[in-house]
Amino acid sequence: MTRKGRRLLVISCAAGVLFVAAGLVLFALNDTIVFFRSPSEIAAEGTRPGTRLRLGGLVKDGSVQHTDGTHVRFVVTDGGADMGVTYVGLLPDLFREGQGVIAEGVLAPDGSFTADSVLAKHDETYMPKEVADALKKQGVWKEGEGTP
Amino acid sequence: MLLWIAFSLMTGAAILAVLWPLRTGAAVPAASTAEADLAVYRDQLAEIERDRASGLIAPAEGEAARTEVARRILRVSAERGREGASSGDDRRRRIVAVVALLGVPLLAGGLYLSLGSPLTPPQPLAQRLEAQPDPSDIAILIRKVESHLEANPNDGRGYEVVAPIYARIGRLDDAARAWANAIRLLGPNAQRETGLGEALTARAGGVVTGEAKSAFQAALAADPNDPKAQYFLGLAAEQDGQTAEAAQRWSALVAASPPDAPWLGLVGAALTRIGAPVPAPASGPGAADVAAAQSLTPEQRDAMVRGMVERLEARLAQEGGDIEGWLRLMRAWTVLGQQDKAKTAAGQARTHFASDSGALGRIDALAQELGLGS
Amino acid sequence: MNPEIGHYALVLSLAVALLMTVIPAWGARTGDAALMRVGSTLALVLAGFVGLSFATLVVAYVQSDFSVLNVVENSHSAKPLLYRITGTWGNHEGSMLLWVLVLAIFAALVALFGANLPARLKANVLAVQGSVATAFLLFILFTSNPFTRVIPPPAEGQDLNPILQDIGLAIHPPLLYLGYVGFSITFAFAVAALIEGRIDAAWARWVRPWALTAWAFLTLGIAMGSYWAYYELGWGGWWFWDPVENASLMPWFAGTALIHSAVVMEKRDALKVWTVLLAILAFSLSLLGTFLVRSGVLTSVHTFATDPSRGVFILAILVFFIGGSLALYALRAPMLRQGGLFAPVSREGALVLNNLLLTAASAAVLVGTLYPLALEAYNGAKITVGPPYFNLTVGALMLPVAFAMPFGPLLAWKRGDLAGAAQRLMAAFGAAIVIAALAAYAQGGGPVLAPFGMGLAAFVVIGAMAEVIERAGFGRVPRATAFARLRGLPRSVFGGALAHAGVGVCLFGIIAETSWNAERIAGVKVGGSFEVGGYELTLDRLEPRNGPNYRDLVGVFTVRRGGVEMGTIESAKRLFTARNMPTTESGIRTMWFSQLYVSLGDELPGGGVGVRAYWKPFVTLIWIGSIIMALGGALSLSDRRLRVGAPKPAKKPKVRPDPAAVPAE
Repeated sequence: MTRKGRRLLVISCAAGVLFVAAGLVLFALNDTIVFFRSPSEIAAEGTRPGTRLRLGGLVKDGSVQHTDGTHVRFVVTDGGADMGVTYVGLLPDLFREGQGVIAEGVLAPDGSFTADSVLAKHDETYMPKEVADALKKQGVWKEGEGTP
Repeated sequence: MLLWIAFSLMTGAAILAVLWPLRTGAAVPAASTAEADLAVYRDQLAEIERDRASGLIAPAEGEAARTEVARRILRVSAERGREGASSGDDRRRRIVAVVALLGVPLLAGGLYLSLGSPLTPPQPLAQRLEAQPDPSDIAILIRKVESHLEANPNDGRGYEVVAPIYARIGRLDDAARAWANAIRLLGPNAQRETGLGEALTARAGGVVTGEAKSAFQAALAADPNDPKAQYFLGLAAEQDGQTAEAAQRWSALVAASPPDAPWLGLVGAALTRIGAPVPAPASGPGAADVAAAQSLTPEQRDAMVRGMVERLEARLAQEGGDIEGWLRLMRAWTVLGQQDKAKTAAGQARTHFASDSGALGRIDALAQELGLGS
Repeated sequence: MNPEIGHYALVLSLAVALLMTVIPAWGARTGDAALMRVGSTLALVLAGFVGLSFATLVVAYVQSDFSVLNVVENSHSAKPLLYRITGTWGNHEGSMLLWVLVLAIFAALVALFGANLPARLKANVLAVQGSVATAFLLFILFTSNPFTRVIPPPAEGQDLNPILQDIGLAIHPPLLYLGYVGFSITFAFAVAALIEGRIDAAWARWVRPWALTAWAFLTLGIAMGSYWAYYELGWGGWWFWDPVENASLMPWFAGTALIHSAVVMEKRDALKVWTVLLAILAFSLSLLGTFLVRSGVLTSVHTFATDPSRGVFILAILVFFIGGSLALYALRAPMLRQGGLFAPVSREGALVLNNLLLTAASAAVLVGTLYPLALEAYNGAKITVGPPYFNLTVGALMLPVAFAMPFGPLLAWKRGDLAGAAQRLMAAFGAAIVIAALAAYAQGGGPVLAPFGMGLAAFVVIGAMAEVIERAGFGRVPRATAFARLRGLPRSVFGGALAHAGVGVCLFGIIAETSWNAERIAGVKVGGSFEVGGYELTLDRLEPRNGPNYRDLVGVFTVRRGGVEMGTIESAKRLFTARNMPTTESGIRTMWFSQLYVSLGDELPGGGVGVRAYWKPFVTLIWIGSIIMALGGALSLSDRRLRVGAPKPAKKPKVRPDPAAVPAE
């Protein structure tokens, strides 16, 4: 094989690999991203049941119910709208009423939300960024106030 | 002084790091690029030779590899000697030496003077706890009492001393606990019980809780004339909706008080609030005094405000991270006409927020607005 | 020790770093040996001053000197000594100081051990390192000064985030920084070479030890961080695709590619342009990681502070160094001479493939990490790119890497024999099939792909050994000769094989854990039992315990299998009193390479407690494999070939190339 031919072959192999990789990235991105929504946004947009979402807001005071050992129900609110959440599992250490929370899961046909993972803030000064933004939009929380 | 000597020694070391390699005696010829390359290629050749000798690579492969390395060696040998590494001319060396001699002290010194706080001594906790008590260091005084109490948990006097200080700096939980301990160890008296009741009330945001109420009742049992207990029990009755009982307690309190008692104004205002008549104090001067007491005199109000500001100041000295508090303090001193105290507060606030440009900006803006200079 | 000494040392470091940027570079430009020498002494002095500054801060932490704001905010006198020390770098300011300390130490190591480097290259490397140090010292002094004082000092600190109060934090960040920042040296080498406009095979030999050091530390750091998250966060996961984890993984991919392409460059003088680019990219990705973590653009467990001014400052540093180096690269790279040629099927070809896949994986992680940011900036939509994306892309790109890995070392340079290599791997392949079959039999009706994965992992491990056996010639030459050859093999061969085997071991752990783990969430009362992964766990008692600055609620479980008692597991819910913050202290019992993992949830209203238990088969192999990889790196590093002595300018007989050995190609 000539010098040029060899180089061409190596380069075309490389291009092939990169092409496949790029395709893979686009395919995976299309399929796996999860949108973040606040309860008011879901209410306003009429999101279809079965959609996978990250739901963020504050845990409504007095709404947490342990039905049995591991089944939990609570309400997520952003001041504008409420959304009931059911979850099976252990709640994170810093899950508390009145604090920010993100639940990832699926919207059920009855309008409630079935979460398969629940994230709370990591320490007492940290508010998930998405939640803070959503609350700001609803006027519940203002910059500089610290965690409500 | 020692600190400045250390600073100069460090600066000297930095300058020496530049000057030492510049001295003429140090002129060891530098490794040229070609020499260094050659060393690597010779090593590669030797390695190929070793591999071939031990049969790790086939003779043909080894030959080809040798060829490649040899070609590199040829190329580098051709370059050899082309790069002239001078051992330095004096002009450049002088420039560098001057830059080091002047630049290092000027830059480091200047920057340090604007950023550092050379006058603040180190204050390890253990040392602060051991040292002679410094009355201005309230935090440490408390710590000392605390560690003393940790060692002697049955010293009632200690709790009694520290409890009002806790209350003053807003550590209400600790204040209540300390009063309770003092009562447990020294027995109840009116002062301890009212202290406990007050701390509990303050903790509940001004609501006289059941616990606080029983403390005030215990105080009255110890001293039926204790005015604070009387007042708070009246307040409890008012909060329970029993205005009549509140009016009765407060009226009795006013009637039993000397005419110059400091609490008359407060109790009078409370009575007016629930729509009850204000009786005359014990050695009854006219109603005019009472009316005057209802709306505090400017001096009294001033004293009250000053008390509040001082509490704020004490709290900020404890926990300085509250920017709003600092701004309030600056404003309050200015309003009270204490320009220099306001300036001190601004200075302290700047130290606290030295690393927070947002807060610094707000402090500066307010100082400007209040005419404190910046 | 007076904190002001540390503060002044830090300010002085800035002055020294500035001189270190300018003087050696000027010396290299003018060919002035004296000025170039200044770089080395300055590098040593810089490391000394930054070290002194850091030591002062540590002392302030140990002594609970609450006149230092940083100590007030991140320490507490009731904390155990160890966590008071580690608290020094458990916060933004302290960790940036550690970052610069590692940078300065690497520069000092180049000054000390770089005697074999050409003076000009060394001077330029130190100058580049000095410029990075200057930028970060400015950042520390003006936005994150750890030596800010408080007057009057409070009597108690505000404690350290309890999640970070752990032995894992004591070692994980320093290791990670040794890796992250270690790539600053390869970056400096790349930029220095571009400035000189001269890059050849010898350059690769000089860069390799540094790249290997940084890579080995980064590998260890990532593994440690993963284990820390695994047992401290209590979710039983060992990798979360958290932005900060991604930030460390990207330079790892680039660095892995770099140590491989540097081999090609050293042996064949080929792939020069590419290798230099990788050296720049590895550090650029490290800087990007620092930016993501420190600016608070992405929130995560590791985000200590969110302060926009800091973010902008780091972004400026990022743009300057990445932009500057890439511009220099664009300017100079086309002038580099092309190197040796090779066929697609050859050792070089295999390494090119490895490089392509690794960089593609790095890019995929980069896209996944930055895509949410870009999308939000573009149309305000908030999305999450979660584990499914990363598992799919990185998994799909790494599988061919794993499969090709045993082939690479068996291919000859220049033109390889794929069929021959495959033939020599038959034994490994056979063993892999046996293991896959065993796995399929053992799992019964588990995931279909798991046996294939196990087979692949076994293929990688055994294939890695095949290279050593093959090179020693077992089966082809008499056994005694083969053993003699085995001893004569350079350590880098063993190092490479060991590192490859480590990848296989790690892969084995990952596949076994993800395919066969069992999870059980239950509400348990005292005396109650539940089953997970074939083990029966009984909650014997729940008891409160007091620690120095926390209170524990400990659940004691007895583990039984088939009625036979195997021991106990203690798991706790811990409440740190200073911040009133609960953490989960998971209980872990290791059996061979597998682990039983129990974490406690909340106490339940009707008595008892929520429990989450996992059976994690072969999970420890993930970290053992990573440690083996790092050991492989260390073994390669100890190869004497990487320590070519200083060139002796004295008159040494020049090796005359044999004219007959230079035929035309």
